[in-house]
Amino acid sequence: MDVSRPGKGRLRVAVTGASGDYGRLLLSRLEQDPEVESILVLDVARPQGASAKVEFHRVDLTRYDAESELTDALTERPVHALYHLAFLFGPIRNGSLAHELEVIGTMNVLTAAGRSRLPRLVVPSLTAVYGARGNNPAMLREDSPLQGCPHSRFVTDKVEVEGQVRAFRERHPDMRVLVLRFAPVLGPSVDNPATRLLRNPVVPTLMGYDPLWQGLHEDDAARALHLALRAETSGEINVVGRGVMPLSGLIHQAGARPLPLPGPLFRAALHTLDAVGAGTLPVALLDYIHYSWVADGERAESALGFIPLHHVRDAAAALKRS
Amino acid sequence: MAKGVLGNDPFQRGAASRHAESATPDGEAKAAPEAPAKKPVKGPSGNGAKSAAHKATASAKSAGKAASAKSRKPEKKPAAKARGGKAAATSGKHGAAAQAAAPLRPQTRGPASHGLEDAVLPLREPAASEPSLADAEPGPVNDAGPLTGAQRDVDHALAEALASEAAEASATAAVDQTLGTRGDADAELERLMAMEVATEQAEQAVAELLEQDPEAMSPELERELAASVAAKVADRSARAAADEARPHDGAAGEARWSEETSVTVRVTEDEADTTAVEAEVELPDATRDEFPPGRRGPLSLVPPPSYAEDGARDAFPPDAGRSGPESVRPFAERAVAALSLAKDIAGQALASESMARALLAVGGLKDMLRAGLGTGGGANLDEYGKDPALVERLEPVLEFLYSQYWRVSVQGVVHVPPGAAILVANHSGALPYDGLVMSMALTRERPDLREPRWLVEDQVFHAPMVGTLFNRMGAVRACPENALRLLDEHRPLVVFPEGYQALSKPFGERYRLKRFGRGGFVKLALRTGAPIVPVAIVGAEETSPLLGRIPASFLGLPYVPLTPLGPLPLPAKWSIRFGEPIGVEDLPPEAADDLGEVQRLTERTRESIQSMLQSLLRERRSVFAG
Repeated sequence: MDVSRPGKGRLRVAVTGASGDYGRLLLSRLEQDPEVESILVLDVARPQGASAKVEFHRVDLTRYDAESELTDALTERPVHALYHLAFLFGPIRNGSLAHELEVIGTMNVLTAAGRSRLPRLVVPSLTAVYGARGNNPAMLREDSPLQGCPHSRFVTDKVEVEGQVRAFRERHPDMRVLVLRFAPVLGPSVDNPATRLLRNPVVPTLMGYDPLWQGLHEDDAARALHLALRAETSGEINVVGRGVMPLSGLIHQAGARPLPLPGPLFRAALHTLDAVGAGTLPVALLDYIHYSWVADGERAESALGFIPLHHVRDAAAALKRS
Repeated sequence: MAKGVLGNDPFQRGAASRHAESATPDGEAKAAPEAPAKKPVKGPSGNGAKSAAHKATASAKSAGKAASAKSRKPEKKPAAKARGGKAAATSGKHGAAAQAAAPLRPQTRGPASHGLEDAVLPLREPAASEPSLADAEPGPVNDAGPLTGAQRDVDHALAEALASEAAEASATAAVDQTLGTRGDADAELERLMAMEVATEQAEQAVAELLEQDPEAMSPELERELAASVAAKVADRSARAAADEARPHDGAAGEARWSEETSVTVRVTEDEADTTAVEAEVELPDATRDEFPPGRRGPLSLVPPPSYAEDGARDAFPPDAGRSGPESVRPFAERAVAALSLAKDIAGQALASESMARALLAVGGLKDMLRAGLGTGGGANLDEYGKDPALVERLEPVLEFLYSQYWRVSVQGVVHVPPGAAILVANHSGALPYDGLVMSMALTRERPDLREPRWLVEDQVFHAPMVGTLFNRMGAVRACPENALRLLDEHRPLVVFPEGYQALSKPFGERYRLKRFGRGGFVKLALRTGAPIVPVAIVGAEETSPLLGRIPASFLGLPYVPLTPLGPLPLPAKWSIRFGEPIGVEDLPPEAADDLGEVQRLTERTRESIQSMLQSLLRERRSVFAG
């Protein structure tokens, strides 16, 4: 690694959705990476505080002509890696937009990536795609079936994206396609369903159940994304923090209080609230607070060289400090 | 000495003279005033008494009276002395004597002059208005002739009756006087109690006096003496009692108390024969040091350990002689002392080891409940969900269950090979404690092995509370992935191939093995090469026999088992026997796909367990005693 000439590297990295949490975390790392020559940002808005390395190219992934625009941008100058990070993690007000962005946007990106013969594609995913089911083994490995969560459009879309990416990988065996399945990313600067849940002062739980959760500190998530730039591997990789915690312990660590509610009551209340549109809590949550969904992070260490630095309790505690 | 001070008091002389008149109307008026001055100083000593007698004789005007007084005195002295001495020596033992004496205790402090004046009036009036005393006067006065025994007896009884009457009357008067001004709601109660105490004491004093010298006294004198003594004692003790009944009248009561004591002294001197009454005066002296009336109350001076002794002291007559309301204060203090004692005991109990263990166990159970409910938290779980911290906190409970409640006896534990091993056991009991007990037995008996885990079926693993709790204590959901993973970690793995159907079989089918699933554990053994160790567990069936099933589909459970003590197990004795390992090293991993081979090994394991069960059941004489 040539650190004597910063900014004079030879890697050119393209990033979609650089304004999101993943994009923000990754961009700061890439800017500091001396081997990264330039960063091509393909997004609807220019990322704030971007350095001189960043080249902005406006692309709306939900548009019908996004695919050709992407291909043009990617073939104009050769790109060594494409990070497809354009996913929504905020509260989804517009379900169809989210679906367009996730599924159609990913389809456009994959098509463009195939056309431009990119050597490397990195797509983030979630361990939630395994689904929280009673038949889950104690540790979910990457080859476990993606059972998803029928109640959650968010997770269902993710499962569909993963299917697309897997199909793409099979069609392009010469490309390195990495899918990073992140455990819930926790940290002061991220916003996703898990952090929103844990930032409530009182978190409802199912009485009599205390499933095991994992968490990933945002610094670890950024590091894992950065490591994917050079990893000599392909396929899905679980990226999880150190250790597991029961949900109640996670809630305690995040500075909130668990409120155990009897299952039938909780279910009925949540479904009713969902039906009337007052989506305070996603119905999908019911699965994840019922059954454990612990992913095995072994492959991240062996294939990606990723060793989490933060324990899940520190990640949750970081949530409290923010 | 108080007596001397009091004796010099001019008032004392006045009162004395007045009393002397009532007692001996004929004369001795001059002898009486002088007597108090000397008598108290000398006390019950023979010399003092003699000199007093001499003076009285010398100053007597009536020759007859003087003669009779003279003749009586020398005779009485020894008896009085003896009595006084005895009473002083044995005041602790003689309840009645001490009780009578207690109120007579003189106050060592000099009486306040105000208090004196206050006390004068109440004292005089009862004595003056004593109707029984007046009645007694007209009796056979000057008859000093010898009496027969029967006559004396009659006179004695008469005197006693008279005395008690006098005592009651004077007590009433005194108490009325003392408490009359009070309008409290409890004034009536206090009055009654004070009166009763006073009367009792007066009667006792008289009875003792009369008992002391029955034959030496002439009947009329006896009566006189009895009546006057009764009146005085009753009067004084009534006032004392009444005063004590008003704790807030502290200073006034104190002053009056000392005043009255001095009056008593004078009264006794005034009597023609002083000795008997003098003994009464002397008695309190003996007891006073032990129980100063003013400071008997504070229990705080008494260290808590001697509380029992204190209670004994409370039962002591001097206290019992006190009027009821006064005992309210000691009671409060006693309660405080008892409380502090209880605190002491509690502190010591807390410090004791067993208590600490019990408290720890309670804390552990609380954590267990919280963990079961799903609010326990825990930050250091392993990847399977076991919470070592919770297990450690539950250790007192588990230890009790294992060693004392179930008295688990383990046989053949040496058969468990080091490294990965599949321990196949019979599942039993409506509540599956067997996995927990198995892992505890292995941890205790074979500390060289890695921490064992046991697999539980989904119905238990996903049961609310129970499943969560078992998971925190080391249970792992039964599935091939988990089993492979655990065996890869070289752990002993406890499996129950019968599964849920073994838990739901009726009590009548206990220890009859069900079908061993589909031989998953054999496939596992063949794939990993881990040996199969058959294990028979006896006692678990009786720990929680299945009496019935309550449908509970709303809880996500097929049913809730109905057991004798609910979730609590019965104290059946457990026996765990480990059999010879069944090795699979000579079979290739591909044999796992050979259903015939799998079936053969499954059946072999099953038969091994069933025969061990039979022998354990034959050896067992009693379900609970073993």
